[in-house]
Amino acid sequence: MTTAAAAPYNIGEIWKFVRLSLIWMGIIFGAVWLVSWVVGAVIPALIDQAAGKDAVLHNLANIIRLLTPLIAVMVFIPINATYMVLAERRGLALLTVRKGPNRVGPDGFLQTGADAVKLLFKENIDPEGSDPLMFTLAPIIFFAPSVFGAIPLLAAVTSDHELFHIVNLPTGIFYVLAMSSIPVVGIVMGGWASNNKYSLVGGLRSAAQAISYEIPLVLAVITVCLLVGTLNVVDIAWLQNPMALAGLDNSPQAAQALQRWESIRGASHMAAPSISSIGVNSLADFGFLNWNIFGGDKFTSYLALLAAGKYTVEAAIFKGLAALLLIISSFLLCGLYLTGACAEINRIPFDLPEAESELVSGYNTEYSGIRFAIFFLAEFTNLFIVSTIAVVMWFGGGSSPFPATLYAPVMQALAGVCGAVNEVLKGIGLPAILEATTLSGAIWAIAKTYFLVYFAILVRGTLPRFRIDQLMDFGWKRLIPLSLILLLTVTFLKELI
Amino acid sequence: MFALVGRSIESLRQVARGLGTVLKHAAREPITKEFPDTMPQLAGHFRGRLALAVNPQTGDHLCISCLQCERVCPDKCIQITSHKSPETNKPELINFKIDHGLCMFCGLCTEVCPTNCIINTNDFEMADYSRESLVYDLKKLTLTQDESAHYYSKKELPMPKPKPKPAAKPAAGAAAAKPAADKPAGKPEAKAEAKPEAKPESAEAKPAAAAPEAKAAEESAAKPAETQAKAEDSAAKAIETQAKTVETATKAEETAAKSGETQQKAEEVLKAAEASTKTEESSEKPEEKTREIDLGRVPAKSDEAAETKAAEEPKKEGEQ
Amino acid sequence: MFNLNDLAHAASAHLEICLFYLTAFIMIPLAYGVLLDRNIIRAGFLLIGVFGGISALFLLLQAQFLAMAQLMIYAVGITLVVVIALMLTNPNLEYEKSVELPQQQLPAFLTSILVFLVLYMSVLSEAWPVRNELPSADNIKVLGTSLLTQYSLPFEFASILLLVALIGAVMLAKSDHFHPGEEILGNESISETEGNENVVKV
Repeated sequence: MTTAAAAPYNIGEIWKFVRLSLIWMGIIFGAVWLVSWVVGAVIPALIDQAAGKDAVLHNLANIIRLLTPLIAVMVFIPINATYMVLAERRGLALLTVRKGPNRVGPDGFLQTGADAVKLLFKENIDPEGSDPLMFTLAPIIFFAPSVFGAIPLLAAVTSDHELFHIVNLPTGIFYVLAMSSIPVVGIVMGGWASNNKYSLVGGLRSAAQAISYEIPLVLAVITVCLLVGTLNVVDIAWLQNPMALAGLDNSPQAAQALQRWESIRGASHMAAPSISSIGVNSLADFGFLNWNIFGGDKFTSYLALLAAGKYTVEAAIFKGLAALLLIISSFLLCGLYLTGACAEINRIPFDLPEAESELVSGYNTEYSGIRFAIFFLAEFTNLFIVSTIAVVMWFGGGSSPFPATLYAPVMQALAGVCGAVNEVLKGIGLPAILEATTLSGAIWAIAKTYFLVYFAILVRGTLPRFRIDQLMDFGWKRLIPLSLILLLTVTFLKELI
Repeated sequence: MFALVGRSIESLRQVARGLGTVLKHAAREPITKEFPDTMPQLAGHFRGRLALAVNPQTGDHLCISCLQCERVCPDKCIQITSHKSPETNKPELINFKIDHGLCMFCGLCTEVCPTNCIINTNDFEMADYSRESLVYDLKKLTLTQDESAHYYSKKELPMPKPKPKPAAKPAAGAAAAKPAADKPAGKPEAKAEAKPEAKPESAEAKPAAAAPEAKAAEESAAKPAETQAKAEDSAAKAIETQAKTVETATKAEETAAKSGETQQKAEEVLKAAEASTKTEESSEKPEEKTREIDLGRVPAKSDEAAETKAAEEPKKEGEQ
Repeated sequence: MFNLNDLAHAASAHLEICLFYLTAFIMIPLAYGVLLDRNIIRAGFLLIGVFGGISALFLLLQAQFLAMAQLMIYAVGITLVVVIALMLTNPNLEYEKSVELPQQQLPAFLTSILVFLVLYMSVLSEAWPVRNELPSADNIKVLGTSLLTQYSLPFEFASILLLVALIGAVMLAKSDHFHPGEEILGNESISETEGNENVVKV
């Protein structure tokens, strides 16, 4: 009966998945936005109001403002992981012609919530012969860096919103990478403290793998930093944003912005003719070509100068070839990063540390209850964070893919809506909640990040697991040489274009 | 170097192809069956819980207590309690127990059942809280008339003939003999009721060997008893008495034709056993046998053969 | 608004001192743990904590880049490799009875006092210029410039040293019988190379 009634294509299931994702993303987005607003604007405003001339209370209000990014991330991570687990299971089910969990709540909406409740109520078992301190510490060390490491990205994707400006670190991406290298300590620690052979082997594998694949990963990121000329994630995202580039010449703060642009790019723009000669804002109309995956504004500078007829024929051909090579290199760098990231966070096809078929469950074999839940949470959070890093480094952070002239009306409409909402709130006596630039940036960043997350799910559905020797060969004999070659290539190309 | 680049590009292409293939599968109809909500579409020959069918048309219980299933069961999970009806002088069912905890659903019992009474239903949800509750008794096993009709049509089983005796025998009984007449009258109405009084006499009347054999139906049925009574009995009985192998073969082939008949046949085997109490020997066998084998082999004739037999029966018994 | 650097400006010296003592309060027990813990693998993990604390100190000194490098390379990279090497080589180390040599306790104590005095005196004798102005926010740029201009020679020497060490380690670890064109070595030499491999891992 069911087969007879079934549609030829699986539109029903896909629609269910999309609906589920949209609702969940709305929840995530709304919750984080609301919390940031409450913590960053409403509470300090109320305190300020009540404080009058009390300096201590004003300071308290400021401190609460400073805590906003941390609280926003702390709200974001559990809700986001809740959705990601569900998305992974449902998405994987789609790819493998199954239905996935669809029982708890409408369409399995609350499945992960139920799982989490189950895990929280389970007994915390300390295996015999384990090292209790290390055993408890391991999940925390595994999880905590993902909270702290993600913070600078918050500033990057919200175009350096003033509430998140505090986390705009000059070391930016280096900080994020350093933080994301810590979790492997937790894995090794948990594997060793479990007093279990499988766990120990899982932990050792994880360490070997993470250390091997961190090299190409970091080299890929460093190459992009070299191309862009800064380590600061906010600046990296800013440079790829067509709207920001458009603002370089016709906004009130144009001079300031241009100075900022010059300070980042100035020294690295040796090749003549310079883009400054025809105005940097001419890059804005290239839209997504400004993203680093297409060679960043090096490539669009070339296009703009070519269109302006600034090149001789030979120079145009020569620089065109260089630009082509740069695009290829950038694509390879992105692929290199994604591969390394996949290995770093132990996802299929690099999930040797937790290979179910070989090591039971690897380093978390002995974990149960809330400690296992933390491991689980951290795994998915790490996936999200590496995706966010990729988005910021290669896919333009919170920028829209459209040319600035096309996107400007959208932004205006958005600004109108935001203004209206803020007016309503002002009537009640509350601070503004929406801001067009931040809203657009956050939405685009989430969309792109989830695109990468879904891609990771697709990869998980496709590729089989590496063998440990293949893994090491691939890492040391293929990826590291490739990343070194790319580092060298991009260094030269950057000056040639 | 170039070879390496070529291989890398090739491998990337292959990975991309794999990703594409997997992505395409997202558009496929899921093969998941949401079991408790939508029941699986099971084939008629699915071997699920065992049950006893009744005649879908009349609602008569089809079991003739032949004990074939009990004997063939590899797990010995079937336990039949029956006794010899005093009126009809045939075995009658008292209780039928199947231990589904032991059953391995091989379906052998359904193969041997001459009346297609015991069948495998499509029900497989038998989880229970204790082993004892897995032992199903007659009441639990017997299907309703509607269920029986459902499974008979689903399994494409031939409809059992409405019991011949209620139809044929009253007519015949009026015409002819005495002992034959009260049997059919007693039998269709209630198997258990009539028995107690009738039982003692029938037990004593029978020869020691004939009674159990007759009860155990075709294969083991007492040959001497049957053979002599063959002339009156059905064609099917003739087959069985003369060559069991032939008979089982034909049964397998022509289940359609026979199943209606087999029930009747078995009943008539019983009658034959009774008849044998009266007459010890008969000399007419050989010729008649061959004739009736032919009859039995022709599926189309089986129906009319049964009827003619039913008509003949009382007469011959009367003669004897 | 604030930046983390600005926060350090704005915050009173008290906050910095509080953070310093907090770090010290965590780090010193960890450092003692490294020395005193009989279980060498746990000691290794504690060492990771100590390096993490050092990176926190760098952070307090406004040296973000250095702090991150410390965390990434020392705390996670090198120490973790050491811990893994310990796990691979001598898992029974923790069960070994410590060899008590009472007659060596006094000399050992004196030596350590001496070493401490030497270090302390050398720290005191060196003039450490203290500047009042804070390091600029983009001290990464300054660091990079000076590494590639003023200090490029030591930087290159350091990298060559590391390269040599790496090549040496590879040569030691490499099995000779994989060499094409060379005679296949006997069992003895193979076992020798295997021994060397272990040494390299440690």
